[in-house]
Amino acid sequence: MRYHIENKVYHVEILPPKQDSENLERDLDVFVEKYTRVMDSGYCACITDNAMGHLSFQGTEMIEELGLPVLPEQVMIHLNTFHTREDLDNILSYCVEKGIKYLLVVSGDGSERLPRLKPSDIGVQGTESITSVELLQYITREYPGKFVLGVAFNPYEPEDHEFAKLKRKLWAGASFIITQPIIEKNAVVDKLIAEYPDVPVIVEAWMSKKLHLLSDAVGYTIPENTEYDPIATLKLLHQAYPKNGFYLSLLGFKTQYDLIRDLWV
Amino acid sequence: MKIVVCIKQVPASNDAKIDPETKRIIREGQKAIMNPFDTYALEEGVRMKEKYGGEVIALTMGPPKAEAVLREAISAGADRGILLSDRVFGGSDTWATSYALARAIEKIGDVDLVICGKQAIDGDTAQVGPGIASHLDWMQATYVMAVDSIEDNNITVKRMHEDGYDVCELRLPAVLTVVKDINTPRVPTLKGRLAAQKSEIPVLKPEDIGADPDKLGLNGSPTRVVKTQPPEPRQTDTLRIEGSPRECAQALVRELKFRGLV
Amino acid sequence: MIAKTYIEKAEYRNIWVIGELLSGEIQPVTYELIGAARGLADARQCEVWTVLIGAGAGAGAGSLFAYGTDTVVVVDDSRLDGFQDEIEAKVLVRLIKKYKPEVVLCGATTRGRALIPRVAVMANCGLTADCTRLSIDPENGDLLQTRPAFGGNILATIRCPDHRPQMATVRPRVMKALEPDISRVGRIIREGILDTDADKMKRIIEIFHSREGALNLSDAQVIIAGGRGMKGPEGFRLLKDFAFRVGGAVGASRAAVDSGWIPYAHQVGQTGQTVQAKLYIACGISGQIQHLVGMQSCETIVAIDKDPDTPMMQMADIAIVGDIFEIIPEIMNELAKS
Repeated sequence: MRYHIENKVYHVEILPPKQDSENLERDLDVFVEKYTRVMDSGYCACITDNAMGHLSFQGTEMIEELGLPVLPEQVMIHLNTFHTREDLDNILSYCVEKGIKYLLVVSGDGSERLPRLKPSDIGVQGTESITSVELLQYITREYPGKFVLGVAFNPYEPEDHEFAKLKRKLWAGASFIITQPIIEKNAVVDKLIAEYPDVPVIVEAWMSKKLHLLSDAVGYTIPENTEYDPIATLKLLHQAYPKNGFYLSLLGFKTQYDLIRDLWV
Repeated sequence: MKIVVCIKQVPASNDAKIDPETKRIIREGQKAIMNPFDTYALEEGVRMKEKYGGEVIALTMGPPKAEAVLREAISAGADRGILLSDRVFGGSDTWATSYALARAIEKIGDVDLVICGKQAIDGDTAQVGPGIASHLDWMQATYVMAVDSIEDNNITVKRMHEDGYDVCELRLPAVLTVVKDINTPRVPTLKGRLAAQKSEIPVLKPEDIGADPDKLGLNGSPTRVVKTQPPEPRQTDTLRIEGSPRECAQALVRELKFRGLV
Repeated sequence: MIAKTYIEKAEYRNIWVIGELLSGEIQPVTYELIGAARGLADARQCEVWTVLIGAGAGAGAGSLFAYGTDTVVVVDDSRLDGFQDEIEAKVLVRLIKKYKPEVVLCGATTRGRALIPRVAVMANCGLTADCTRLSIDPENGDLLQTRPAFGGNILATIRCPDHRPQMATVRPRVMKALEPDISRVGRIIREGILDTDADKMKRIIEIFHSREGALNLSDAQVIIAGGRGMKGPEGFRLLKDFAFRVGGAVGASRAAVDSGWIPYAHQVGQTGQTVQAKLYIACGISGQIQHLVGMQSCETIVAIDKDPDTPMMQMADIAIVGDIFEIIPEIMNELAKS
């Protein structure tokens, strides 16, 4: 992660097509376009895992079936607990084979259609259910030294709970942190950075104008500015967090992509 | 083994709203998915095929766009799909629906087993599975949580009940309805999906399956929906308690005692 | 049976309840349905009949009169040991053809939902599942059957204008049994099984009884339920303690179950269980309609939440605004004092 921070490499989130896509061919083409553009720019493509519980194709499937190039510093895969053990191992083995080393490990959003890891699947006892902590432990145990593992941090959740959770995640094997999207200098994120000066913290920026979607995503109402300007906000965040990495969600590839080129200085 | 899995395409979300003018449910603009219970039925069928050999046919009755769930079924292991679609089928209640599906299954011919999900999340009736069995005059097992074995034309299953379960053996051909405990459905792969895009899916009409038009659609449905409305709001005043946690606790316990609840 | 003319429909009289028997014991839902049937029978000025089909079915027949039944039909045969839906369906269809009931009600249990759709197809009549309300249309005497659809977001009222009998299933704990009146009397009719009824017979290999999980929640008189506001499995440990103290069961919203904080067996709602407890304490549950459908029949609903305006807080009989994690321990303290 230090490589990305030092070299000012953006993490750009790309969502794979949904399984119920009405035009799969078109959606696949769009994905390839975005991925290729991110590769060419030298940024890191971060591929989500069934975001918001919408059944989608996996990042590893996309790379395999579409023959996409893997540059180890430029790919990050999200991985959540809504998989069968078999699928999980398939994904992890594929990553090892291809040299994909960055994983963002999260509990994830579930749905009716998604299986869930059970404690017995990964040899865990004494807990009701699997969260990112147990998944981290599994990966560290079964694939030692193969991955650089990141976790999420939500500055909108009650602080004590969130910091306690983070402590467990770091203990379980995480070595970098990505925050939930923030739209201004955030006191809790500041506290996070202060408490963990040696852990790379990547700040997530919300690149969509629709702020209410962010409220939906984090589960807490983000006060709506009269006119939210994602690019201006990103500039502000760069100033507020000069020593951190940046993760861009919902980046508009048509309207915003070129505008960010010279923002991170 | 020739296995037919009956699938239904349902709205993705159950946030149905009532049109204030027509008093009917607004259905447009809804994303459509495979009924979640059906994914378990499909998975069980595919596992049986993998174990005993044979063929899995996905069958659905619906509008032309219901073809999407058949492709999804193929991408998750079904060998082929069949769509029953025609205006005449529209407005069917569960009696007419199970009749049409039963005729289609007869038309497919030599079917050993029909597997359905427990119920559809929009209708929630759980009636079509047993209805198909009845129209075909086949044996049935509902709320199946495990298929123990298939041997010599007999199938042994575990049926779930509120008070436990039973293990029973029935003769094939038969109809099973399955619950979510039975398996964990595989998630369709992109590879499977791309292959499924190329599948030919025949569309059958009433005449293709020898169905009596009087038993189809609205005409064939003994039940009629006469009214739809939003649920009644619960009529009650709310006693609000605020204050420090201790004060709230004291007020609550006092109130519950007063009501004879603790 | 299709009755095209008014006169033919009039041949169908009486309200039937298909009894739910487990190991020969009559289940509570039967008494609840008799309660509902009594109301319909009074409106139609006819009788309530209860049909008991099963091995040892005769045993409890006499107890039903006090609860509102006028006639009990008993089909008691050793071939009915275990749940033989094919045989029971054939027997019922034969009885329906013979006695022509106007309405047939059955519990929407695993057995009822296997049996009645089979009967409805064979008898060529309409069936409405999971009715929450049953009444007689004063204009034409038809049964009006109301049920939730679309996960409870819509209430649909259904009629069966041309077919008889009109069939409906009702979930346990939705209708209410009448107070028993031991002075009531009735008659018992005994019927048998024909060999042709039993041409399709399952071989029951094993029957396993378990009162864990699902059943506990449905039977509980007090339920402590948690939602997203519990923030994780730790929150549910707190609820488990609370439930233990008050002798209740733990419930959960879909959000909590989906988050893996508590197993699915505890889920209350449209895709979980319907509960009818005396006291339901909802902690950090916003009250999406799919959840409300599963617990709105509870007698007293208490909601605890930080947000004063959620649907659950508005629906509740008692709404407490505050931090669940601070309030619950205080409640436990208060109760311990008494």
